[in-house]
Amino acid sequence: MDASQLLKGVLDVAVLAVVGDADGYGYDVVRRLRAAGLEEVGDASVYGTLRRLYQAGALTSYVVPSDEGPHRKYYAINDRGRSVLEDSTKTWRTFADTVDGLLQRPAVAA
Amino acid sequence: MTAPEDSATRQAQDYLAAVEHELADLPPEDRSALLEDLAQHLEALAGEDDDRPLAVRLGLPAQYAADLRAAAGLPARGSVVRIATPGVRDRLDAFLASPAGRRVGSAGHEVWRLLGELRPAWWVLRGYLLVLVPCLLVTDGFRDFPVPAPLGSDELGVVLVLAAVVGSVALGRRSLPRPANILVTAFGVVLVLASFAVAQDELQQQQEQDYAYASYAASSVFTLPTEVADGRYPLVSRYGPVTDVLPYAADGTPLDGVLLYDQDGRPLKVGFQEWWADGCVRALEQPRAADGVPVPNSYPQVYEPTGSGVDGALVPAGTCDTDDARPEVPLPTFPPAEPTPSG
Repeated sequence: MDASQLLKGVLDVAVLAVVGDADGYGYDVVRRLRAAGLEEVGDASVYGTLRRLYQAGALTSYVVPSDEGPHRKYYAINDRGRSVLEDSTKTWRTFADTVDGLLQRPAVAA
Repeated sequence: MTAPEDSATRQAQDYLAAVEHELADLPPEDRSALLEDLAQHLEALAGEDDDRPLAVRLGLPAQYAADLRAAAGLPARGSVVRIATPGVRDRLDAFLASPAGRRVGSAGHEVWRLLGELRPAWWVLRGYLLVLVPCLLVTDGFRDFPVPAPLGSDELGVVLVLAAVVGSVALGRRSLPRPANILVTAFGVVLVLASFAVAQDELQQQQEQDYAYASYAASSVFTLPTEVADGRYPLVSRYGPVTDVLPYAADGTPLDGVLLYDQDGRPLKVGFQEWWADGCVRALEQPRAADGVPVPNSYPQVYEPTGSGVDGALVPAGTCDTDDARPEVPLPTFPPAEPTPSG
């Protein structure tokens, strides 16, 4: 099964969760997602998702001067983002439980 | 900077440029935000100890841009244009991909780029025309070019033009939603067409005025306006062709048979008068020198009725005006000559 297809569906909630843990700039978010086990995640997909969530008002951004190069744009979750994260988490749990139930049935039957 | 770092920087620049090209159709705000992120991203990648090419680490620029668009919820490349003009864009792309098309395409790209650079000039012109055209359309007798004079005031015109130019440039710099953009473009086209129409109208009026002035200038004679001296009318004044000269002595005595010469000593000649107030046709009777040669520069000229009318009918000699009456002229009065002191 192609995990990248699954990833597309949960990237929003994954990004919100990572940024909800701690503010982060784009590449930092990418690295934290990978470190968490989502190794397949594409850089462009994360950057695009950050942009979309920001546009939707779920994230705010601020610029931090960097010693090593250009200023870094950090993203932070806001109330709206937290509320979206909460709803998405519920949806995900229900969905995951349902799929788990489906997958466990043959094992039960066996 | 060492050679590998230099190469990495160039690779990053190329990658950024390639993605920028792929995002060219996006609204400027989205595009610049995404590219700003990518620039920082590439910077961060450059700091890592990984010498794989960017195209391997991030995927090909086109794929990267496509993923970016999809994740950001932006339309796929070209999809917006394709909805508006199905097929045309594809055919254009196919043509531009051919060798001939690539040449045309690069020339077209240059023209397009030039037009893009000229846009600010159009914004300024648009503001000016916005004030000028209505002023020209209102016939108030005031001169509206080059400075429009609404309500007869040049000052008001300057203020309005400045305001319109500032507004037009501000409008041009904003990125408008598509319907508003179409409206603004359509308005611009109408403005340009109206300007051409008004300019043509003004030009025609100007020509008619010039013609009327020329006709007025020549109205003292019953001839077509001949402003330039030619064989038929060798002497032309500001009122039209000259057909006679009437000399007077200083004391006001009309003189006959006066010989006139120009500044170079050439006999002064005038035109032949064809039309007379009494309708009689006349022939010029020039005095003859002893050798029988007519003298053309003896003034006033002498015309004798031929006995026929201008319409070819015979005219009884008695009905033509025989006395060569001179027009009333305002003769100057000179002070009495001082007696020359003698001895």
